[in-house]
Amino acid sequence: MGRKTAAFALSLFVAPVISSTGNTSDFKTHFSIAGERYYEDLVIQPLRDGRVISTFTFTTLLEGVSPRDPWDLETPALHLFPLTLGQILREYSITELHLSLNAGKWNYDNWGYPEDPSVSTGAELWAWMADGGPMSIDERWTGLRNALAGLFCASLGSLDSRRTSSPYSAFPLSSVPSPKIGIPYALRYATLPSEHVCTENLTPFLKLLPCKSRTGLARLLNPQHVFDADWHGLGVHVRSTESGVELRLSVQAVLDPVRQSGGKRRDWSFQILFDRTIDAACPVSSWSTARVVVSNDDGYTLSPELPMGDESVAMYDLASQVPLDISMSWPHEHTFPFPLTPPSPLAPLSIKRALHGSSQTHGVLSVALSNNEHGDITIGYLETLPALVTLWMHTIKVEVRGTRRDDLISDISYHPPLLQPNGHHGPSMLQVKLTVPAKSTLRLSIDVTKAFLKYTEHPPDAMRGWDLPPAVLFPVLVDGPVKHVVNDSFVDGIDSRDGYQTIPHRMYTPTLLVDLPTPDFSMPYNVIILSCTLMTLIFGSIFNLLTRKWVIVKVEE
Amino acid sequence: MDHPAPTTANHGLKEPQKLCFETARTRRLVLGSYWTIIILAFPFWWNLTSIERIALPSYRVRAQLDRKPVFPVNVQLDASSFQGSAPTFGRALHEILAQTTQASPTWRDLDIQVGVSEHAGDQSEGPNVYSVVLGNHTAVRHPRQLVVSQEDALSALRLGSILSRLLAPEITSMQAQRIAQYTKRYRLAFTLLNENAASPHLVNSWDIQAAFAGKFSRFIYHMFPIISRLNLLHNFTIESQVQYHAPLAFEPLQFVVANNTLHGLTPEDLTVFINSAEWTLSSSVSNDPVLHFVLFVPSPALQPLHILDAHGLPTSQNAFLLPQWGGIFILNRHARAETMTHLTAADLVPVFSAFANQLSALLGVPPLPDGVKSEESSLLSDWQLDALLRYRTSENILGSQQTLYSIIKLVDQIENMPVDQTVRGDVHDALTALGEAHRSAVGSPATALQWSSEALSLASHAFFNPGMLALLYFPAEHKYAVYTPLFASVSVPLIVALGREVYGWRRERRVVRSG
Repeated sequence: MGRKTAAFALSLFVAPVISSTGNTSDFKTHFSIAGERYYEDLVIQPLRDGRVISTFTFTTLLEGVSPRDPWDLETPALHLFPLTLGQILREYSITELHLSLNAGKWNYDNWGYPEDPSVSTGAELWAWMADGGPMSIDERWTGLRNALAGLFCASLGSLDSRRTSSPYSAFPLSSVPSPKIGIPYALRYATLPSEHVCTENLTPFLKLLPCKSRTGLARLLNPQHVFDADWHGLGVHVRSTESGVELRLSVQAVLDPVRQSGGKRRDWSFQILFDRTIDAACPVSSWSTARVVVSNDDGYTLSPELPMGDESVAMYDLASQVPLDISMSWPHEHTFPFPLTPPSPLAPLSIKRALHGSSQTHGVLSVALSNNEHGDITIGYLETLPALVTLWMHTIKVEVRGTRRDDLISDISYHPPLLQPNGHHGPSMLQVKLTVPAKSTLRLSIDVTKAFLKYTEHPPDAMRGWDLPPAVLFPVLVDGPVKHVVNDSFVDGIDSRDGYQTIPHRMYTPTLLVDLPTPDFSMPYNVIILSCTLMTLIFGSIFNLLTRKWVIVKVEE
Repeated sequence: MDHPAPTTANHGLKEPQKLCFETARTRRLVLGSYWTIIILAFPFWWNLTSIERIALPSYRVRAQLDRKPVFPVNVQLDASSFQGSAPTFGRALHEILAQTTQASPTWRDLDIQVGVSEHAGDQSEGPNVYSVVLGNHTAVRHPRQLVVSQEDALSALRLGSILSRLLAPEITSMQAQRIAQYTKRYRLAFTLLNENAASPHLVNSWDIQAAFAGKFSRFIYHMFPIISRLNLLHNFTIESQVQYHAPLAFEPLQFVVANNTLHGLTPEDLTVFINSAEWTLSSSVSNDPVLHFVLFVPSPALQPLHILDAHGLPTSQNAFLLPQWGGIFILNRHARAETMTHLTAADLVPVFSAFANQLSALLGVPPLPDGVKSEESSLLSDWQLDALLRYRTSENILGSQQTLYSIIKLVDQIENMPVDQTVRGDVHDALTALGEAHRSAVGSPATALQWSSEALSLASHAFFNPGMLALLYFPAEHKYAVYTPLFASVSVPLIVALGREVYGWRRERRVVRSG
């Protein structure tokens, strides 16, 4: 449990710190616009391997506003809330929206849990919508996708019905304003693992912030450095809470100062990480804080000196401390000793997922989940696969240490790919509940067959293969069925009882690349030419047989 | 190929000529059936590979091109006001008005009749009937009434010019360029832009919500009546936002007047004032055209920011209009308390009265002639609204006629442009709507506008039909190239066999004739 506490130190400490800052009255700026609040927060967490996770969170709260009823049509006046996004949310009456655009593979073992749990590779979009109104849920989902694609310059428009599913238990509705509880809600979820996030996505993202990237914490978001990071991602989260509609924009990046210093030192500062410092606070933010998570090991120097917080979190308030350039150095270290022995994993579960098999028609999807804890862990496992691969449910197999353990898998639900009216197949969805025994590795394997695609269905770069979306591990209530899931709020503890426990947040497996039978794309012309030649040959010989004049030639001896 | 003489056939083999399938007749039948199939298949092949081009009603479109809507306007002089001179006065007026409308290109389709009525001062009878009565001062009054002062009513020339400017307001080409293209729906995007938020001059909020909801009566007087009256022509949706960092893309000119450093925008600067790379001025949630209204707060270093005239001298104006795009108001805060962060509805009155004028100009609302006041409760009189309706209707009719004609011309010019049923349906519907617009122009300009805008949208829909582009970039030569290996090698033996058979047949005939 001790290790876990370290891993979750961040999330556990956030709550009290934030609530205490809310009460302190020594803030210089008391900025408020009736009904709208904006605050920003930066968490910097140095890791054991010298990397630094920096998580920017920009939150706008539209107080007293509930998501638009699908029937209702009034337009609000917005000040801090970005109009472009707000109009999209209103137009399609979105209750809850989560969009993440990430690049890289989140390394749970070495980096622990992320601040923002949406770390799936590529683009991930899910939205909850209240039913009713003149537009159907699917029309609104299409409109939302296209509008967001335009807003963020991302190819979200291709998240069509071939990639859209509704996994209600893994992506629960986080909260609904109480007067709207009776309304039925619908979920749409889609991922695009091949989407790559870059500057063209960050620029419109920064335009959604009231201070753009000119003042405040967003000043640090220098595209050259953010996109140089080992892992980087943008997140847009809209939730409707009791107090109003909350928009949370987040940027996460795992930066590597050791690499930047040529493998010598792990010292970091804003200047080193982002090549920028904060000159001025954003004048319209209610509060902006920068927090550094400090580990227990000694030997580091933090500058400026620790102003407030405790031994695990150093906190800086931008209102009183601009210009700000936080730096952390280890003056007694000549060179950074990279941990040679693999350190113990920071997350309770280590995940491996692979697609085996050499043939282009069949394969085996295998997942290995290693429990690093001393107690059993029960989780939900969700696999949403496009119709490129077909899962064969009779071959599902769960093994621990080479022996079959079918008792560890329960609540299997499988939605086969359905043929849709537009002629495409929807994704298949497999959802199971798995119990991973303490200190052991559970291996789940299932046979798959790969689809044979039509010539026109291949993408331009067909030889590269097809990306399969990541599988999702999600927390479950240990005793109940998979449906009842703990609240997906940003800060919550571990659900544990009687030695059984689950994970606090969603976890994503790496994506896969599937190699489908790919045709030679000059083939149609070859086929046409070849069949033309064949037809001519056959035609010519039959025609000759039918119209030839046969004569007997007497050979002179 | 010589036929061996049957008498020499003593080798025990059957003579090939005697076989039933080796007769010349069978061979000719076989060859003939091949050619029959090919000839029969040809129309099918032609039909299947040709591009669908449905005939468009081009005759109707060309006929439509010469039609102009006629707007009858009936001006009634009040008999009691003008006494006995009314009929002669009316005739003089009619002549003047007819001359002016004939002279103006926009209003040639106006058919003005001047009459005398006993009850012109009472309620007007129809939408096209206007009344003129005598009063203390010259003003327009609801419904469609013009009150003329004694001195204005003295000469027919003077009254005629007032009436012609009310009924057929002259629209200069410069004014016409400003007017946004007609659509049924407009979005009005109001933006408060702070050039630099990190300044004491930051304006972080404005009371636009209260203003729109009608909580401040003076504000309502300016913006709301225009929007509510123009609802007859357009549907408006309104959005607003505040931006805190909106840098200019250029450095304003700096100059010193009486030891004061001032900053100014030259007329060239005004054209590039909008920094569209950094300012997000409207949401992209719908495709409706947007009219932008920007309240710009310069950073303290640039304040006060003046608009310069062509000679580089500061003007007293602080608002300007970008044609067909929107309006901008520059808010200099030097006169007010320097740390005011909220603009109340009272502060916004000058801003929104400027915006209201800009909106009128952008939507083509004709101004009232000089010396004519409005006694109506709203800012927009019936006379102005009717003139605008007539202007927009004839503009739409002209636009749809030209679009339809362009479709016809384009389809004639490009021979492999497909024309399918939807295009034809749209063209037909547009023509029907145009006919309805012409018919209803006589009765009610509002209905005529509805029909004309319907016609315009149908005509553009037909013009931009994506199906018409489908085969433009797939020329027939490609198909021939691909199928040459089949067609060439099949046709050669067919033609050769036919030629040989014809040759053989002709030789036989010659042998028969000579023998």
